[in-house]
Amino acid sequence: MNPVGTSRRSLLAASAATAATGLAVAGCGSGDDATVARRKPGQSIRMTFWAWVPGIDKAVDLWNRKNPEVQVDLEKVSPHNSAQYAKMHSALKAGNPPDLAQVEYMNIPEFLLERGLVELGEYGAGAQKDKFVGWQWEQVVYDGGVYAVPQASGPMAMFHRADLYEKWGVEPPATWDEYEATARTIRKEGAYIESFPATMGPWFAGLAWQAGAEWFRTEGDTWKIAIDSEPTRRVADFWEGLVRGKLVKTVPVMQSPWYSAIQSGEVVSWLSASWGDALITGNAAKTKGKWRVAPLPQWKRGAGASANWGGSTTALFRGARYPQDAMDFAVWLNTDPESVDLLIAGGYGWPAAKKGFEGSRLDRPSDFFDGQKYNDVFAASDKAVDTSWKWGPTTVAMINHITDALNDAINSKGSFTDAMRKVQQQVISDMRDKGLKVEAA
Amino acid sequence: MARTRPHTARNRAAVGFLLPFCVLFLTTFVAPICYAVHQSLFRVERKGALGLGGETEVFAGLSNYTHALEDSQFLAGFGRVLLFGVVQVPVMILLATVLALLLEAASARGVVFFRTAFFLPYGVPGVIASILWGFLYVPGISPIVEMLDGAGLDVDFLSDGTLLWSIANIVTWEFTGYNMLILISQLKAVPDELYEAARIDGANAWQVAVRIKLPLIRPALVLTTVFSIIGTLQLFSEPLVLKPLTGNIDTGYTPNVHAYNEAFGANNYHVAAAEAVLLAVVACVLSFGFMRLVGRRGKVGDE
Repeated sequence: MNPVGTSRRSLLAASAATAATGLAVAGCGSGDDATVARRKPGQSIRMTFWAWVPGIDKAVDLWNRKNPEVQVDLEKVSPHNSAQYAKMHSALKAGNPPDLAQVEYMNIPEFLLERGLVELGEYGAGAQKDKFVGWQWEQVVYDGGVYAVPQASGPMAMFHRADLYEKWGVEPPATWDEYEATARTIRKEGAYIESFPATMGPWFAGLAWQAGAEWFRTEGDTWKIAIDSEPTRRVADFWEGLVRGKLVKTVPVMQSPWYSAIQSGEVVSWLSASWGDALITGNAAKTKGKWRVAPLPQWKRGAGASANWGGSTTALFRGARYPQDAMDFAVWLNTDPESVDLLIAGGYGWPAAKKGFEGSRLDRPSDFFDGQKYNDVFAASDKAVDTSWKWGPTTVAMINHITDALNDAINSKGSFTDAMRKVQQQVISDMRDKGLKVEAA
Repeated sequence: MARTRPHTARNRAAVGFLLPFCVLFLTTFVAPICYAVHQSLFRVERKGALGLGGETEVFAGLSNYTHALEDSQFLAGFGRVLLFGVVQVPVMILLATVLALLLEAASARGVVFFRTAFFLPYGVPGVIASILWGFLYVPGISPIVEMLDGAGLDVDFLSDGTLLWSIANIVTWEFTGYNMLILISQLKAVPDELYEAARIDGANAWQVAVRIKLPLIRPALVLTTVFSIIGTLQLFSEPLVLKPLTGNIDTGYTPNVHAYNEAFGANNYHVAAAEAVLLAVVACVLSFGFMRLVGRRGKVGDE
């Protein structure tokens, strides 16, 4: 899941994470797989679990109360600056990873590359497939193996200040062309439609995903990279136009300047994931009742193409001591109605469990969103996410490249398309460094 | 034979005293360096698109080094810290020297209070200091930005052009007091007779400072400058902590940040090791180069 919380908190968390990383790095040696044991009936075991999604502590507590023999020790890790993955990779390298960890969909391949994840087919994961939303399940399947249990996603839609839209006589845009026109109208009123989040690589990837890009695929042993492709260029050109025309702000989103802009009505909408609701309600409480949610603008009117930003799984790390019990826990955590309710209450994202949404607290009208049953928009969005998208094996680095290149383009007035071409070259070079066969598609 | 016994005993005592240092020095300093150099000479080859076919480490010669040196972002990071050092180190050392001389001047008042006050920032960990300053830089929270805004000045401390100097300000705030204290301790070692002699010869306070104090604290000045040069090259936590607040800190903002991201973002430990070695070499060259320049080589000792 993406960073959640105020900037003050994120700063503190970042520092804590830096400290934690330092500790993790101190460990060394290359212990190999711990012995894989099966729990004997009646035997008590403990497992460690690294995660950061809000609400997870309550769900783990519930499991521990119900399963005295299989106790799960939850350790919270910080998701800021990808510090949690630095910690996990160091632990894997040092041979002392946790049994289970929260891993985002986009980061699974890079753990596969380090042979860091346990293949779950052996433990009956295949039988669990029907419990999960189709595209989310596809995100954990690689090369015929199941490498994690889906937890939650971040289907995207458009949060907007319905009161101001109405006052200025604009509708939520149905197409990207309309979006630009709407941006102009709003700019004339002295506000901005959006802040372009150049610090959020996965956001940009999500919109390229919506435009029909498929950045990564494999042909035999060879990766084919299509970051520098028509759909991505279309998205890049579009946002470059908005940035150059000063129709959007460019402050980093989910940081204090941005929060003050959405509080004051200087920024009046946000293309974001379902988990964005908690950030708006939590940080702009005084705008209660003024927001609504509309579907994402489309490249082709009425196409209903969707995008995803963020989303996590529960994965078993190499050396997990009791893989069967660990997988049972992971499945319970992400499908048990009581557990999913606790996770939803914490704001963990969009349920991967098929039955997670209906009847849950997401499935209700909200006063904050003007009485709208706004999660219906996200439910439709989640159903429409393109299932064929795959992530590459160097995601953390790729996200860094995207933010570097886009920020650089904004500062130096370079083209966004060139920026994404550079990202593609860097990704190819990174993957070669990993000893992989790779070429531009 | 009787002559050697006290010798052996003394030797044994010496070994006993040196052993803890040597063990720690070897295991926490020399061994990691050797490991890093070793790592920097290898690379990984994988089988299968997802690497599920297994991996082998093969000897790579110097290819990780050429890779690092061809990375424009890594080199840009060096350029940035060098620019930073050329400006920030002299400013900080000058400031520390002035403060030290003021506090050690015969007419100084409230010495203990000011010495503590100036030194206090050093007691604040770098990460916390960066968070504190981060709040003072971010528009929307910062009272400074608000005040300047009220005065009609539109200042962005985190913009592409100002950011490096905003970081320099944090570093100066953190370390000036520390350097000042080193200089003060050297000033205290100056024998009083020299001052007396100077007074008898009719020297005023300015002459005492420039003709006597400064030449005598020269070794301490060299020491603090060398430490600052090394510290500058190792710039790390400040940019990392400020990163979420601005898009202008990229993955290779400083060489250290680049090596960190290479190791823990991209998991390219081998390239990261090469970058770390290059960084150490540059730090050595600059430190020893500076000492040679001031003609005091060897006085400060090895790092």
